[in-house]
Amino acid sequence: MSTEGAGKVFFAEAIARALRESMERDPRVVILGQDVGRFGGAYREFAGLHARFGDERVRDMPVAEASMVGVGVGAAAAGLRPLVSITYMDFVTLGLDPLVNYGAKLRYKTGGQLAAPVVVKTTAGAKGQGVAHSQSLEAWLVGVAGLKVVAPSTPSDAYGLMLAALAEDGPVVYVDHKRLFPTAGELAHAPAPVPIGRALVRRSGGDVTIATHSYMCRVADAAADRLSAEGIDCEIVDLRTLWPLDVATVAASVARTGALLTLEEGQLACGIGAEVAFRVREEVGRMRVSRLGAARAPVSGNPRLEAATLPRADDVVAAVRRLIDAKANEP
Amino acid sequence: MDRRALLASMLAIRAFEDALAAHSDAGFQLYSSGEEAVAVGVCEALRPVDQLLSSGRSIGPALARGLDPGVVMAELLGRADGPCKGKGGRGHLAQPGAGFFGAHAVVGGNLTIAAGVALAMRMQRAGGIVACIFGDGACGSGALHETMNIAALWKLPLLLVCDDNGWSISTPREAALAARSPADLAAPFGIRAASVDGMDVLAVRDAAAALVAHVRGGAGPAFLVCDAERFSSHSTATRELRSPAAMDAVRARCPIQRLLRTLRDAGALDDAAFAAMERDAGEAAARALAFAERSPPTGVDEIGRDVD
Amino acid sequence: MIYALAVPGPIEDVEELRVLQWHGEPGTRFEAGELVVELETHKAVVEVRAARPGVLRAILCPAGDWQAVGRTLALIGDDADEPLPAPDAAGAPFEVAFEVT
Repeated sequence: MSTEGAGKVFFAEAIARALRESMERDPRVVILGQDVGRFGGAYREFAGLHARFGDERVRDMPVAEASMVGVGVGAAAAGLRPLVSITYMDFVTLGLDPLVNYGAKLRYKTGGQLAAPVVVKTTAGAKGQGVAHSQSLEAWLVGVAGLKVVAPSTPSDAYGLMLAALAEDGPVVYVDHKRLFPTAGELAHAPAPVPIGRALVRRSGGDVTIATHSYMCRVADAAADRLSAEGIDCEIVDLRTLWPLDVATVAASVARTGALLTLEEGQLACGIGAEVAFRVREEVGRMRVSRLGAARAPVSGNPRLEAATLPRADDVVAAVRRLIDAKANEP
Repeated sequence: MDRRALLASMLAIRAFEDALAAHSDAGFQLYSSGEEAVAVGVCEALRPVDQLLSSGRSIGPALARGLDPGVVMAELLGRADGPCKGKGGRGHLAQPGAGFFGAHAVVGGNLTIAAGVALAMRMQRAGGIVACIFGDGACGSGALHETMNIAALWKLPLLLVCDDNGWSISTPREAALAARSPADLAAPFGIRAASVDGMDVLAVRDAAAALVAHVRGGAGPAFLVCDAERFSSHSTATRELRSPAAMDAVRARCPIQRLLRTLRDAGALDDAAFAAMERDAGEAAARALAFAERSPPTGVDEIGRDVD
Repeated sequence: MIYALAVPGPIEDVEELRVLQWHGEPGTRFEAGELVVELETHKAVVEVRAARPGVLRAILCPAGDWQAVGRTLALIGDDADEPLPAPDAAGAPFEVAFEVT
């Protein structure tokens, strides 16, 4: 697929471009994972890279996530800059020992002698593939000291956050989403890294702040279109980095709107929204706040069940209306 | 290293651990006493450019690799002059600049890591190999299976060393591993393996040298199983399960006494010379302890450093 | 008559596509079954073939352009000479067969 120059690209093309440029600049960047070689990645996000860089730098691995992550982390500790691709975020669970118990701890446990500059890229989200191929587990990782976690929602940020993640000197988990791959978006003529730890106001509005990330940004946007027809203007803050969280940007928005809705595809219990809501409250004080996330159930591949388990635009609209009503009823 | 030097290296580890064990602040430790020959024999085959990884039973491997006993003791006692600034302790002791990539306290947790280090070293044409010492307790783990598989597929420059002391804390190896011997695990992957008496440092040295030559030549990984005995219980937090009679049999295999007998029989060392070597080891251990005690305890301000 | 060649669909999981390659230029005559244009989705190529004869009269989305399912890509005529309508005049749809490869 063509990718060079400015213009509109598919989400996967933005990732492939960021990797290609990084691999051309830095011989230490290598890719490890399932189906990353000739196959070009489950979503074609590695298309063209094996042809360009060969078997040495783009390595297919057996279906064994513990060794995918462990080899990537060990190689990073010893001087390479690997990207480890875990096709389904559900299976990052198999790689948690090397990632959490070694990779995230390495700089600290060695007193700074070693660090693991590895990017673990993994695809979250539900799209008809069943309870063990649908999860959004990024909230788990935010609690691991030593890990950074990023989640792009557009091709431009997929590119920019990939560049930024590959440039970090420690482990980064890069979480994309199944439903983002069919989407397309503009890539600037001279695209640049997106700073890690910086949220972005995607849509301005004065009535309510929706803090969200990844595919849910698009659900929020669809809801915001409907709400604006009712005269309710939503401000959508795309978190982009889940750790370190850009509380200041969300707080500045809530200071103006007075109402916060957090929206995520993952579970609410100890979720991203719980962290955002509490941290924002520490900054702005009293505010109306509500959280939306998946129902507390596994996400079935049954389409009716899946759709009803996850937040939809309808749910966002209803939640915003409740927040607005609550604001209006405040003494 | 000549045979006297191998003996001195084992004596140094033994004396170091004796000094540590006697110290009131020793804390939670896993001792290598009894298993000195494994690390000393393997390290004899390594060069400065190579990297050694170990399990949480790290004191023998770190000292055998040549780390300064004073800084090792400082790390174990949580002092600022440890190579990890006292933040890793025994379970995570590391000094990659000295060829000790590090210990990792998770059973089997260093195996896939070691494969990654080997991959990086080969891709960067560093010229070195990686040796990873792990216990028989890791032989039932998927991590070992995955490590052997990828190391064999990619012909990684990796020497896997199983320090087989026959115990996973309280579970004897026969109850933890269906394979008759850990060495049997290598064959399905086409990995060259050898089994050796882990209490005979010369045998370990020779076997390690042969396998290291194989690995260094680019033929792929190798697997060395050392039949060893630990003289202590699994850890300072675990009670000893073996009977006094069993322990007598264990101690009768002492690798230090074994090499001493060999050297004495060959007329290469007499009792007076050995006594002097023991004294030297004791004094070195005392100096290491003194260095560590003079080192300031790690400041709590270190909590905020080296996180990200 | 002038017809509108639109992005065919529905294609599962696809909303917009990129034009990969036109297999003709204004004036090219296509017989039934011939490949007119290839479109790219995020994971596949869509081959669009004429379902009946026609002459490609105007390419509205050249290679590299994006278009959504159901929207017009080009104008097709029964012959090469008929004057083209104003750009916003709706044309009847030109039947195509498409295959996602």
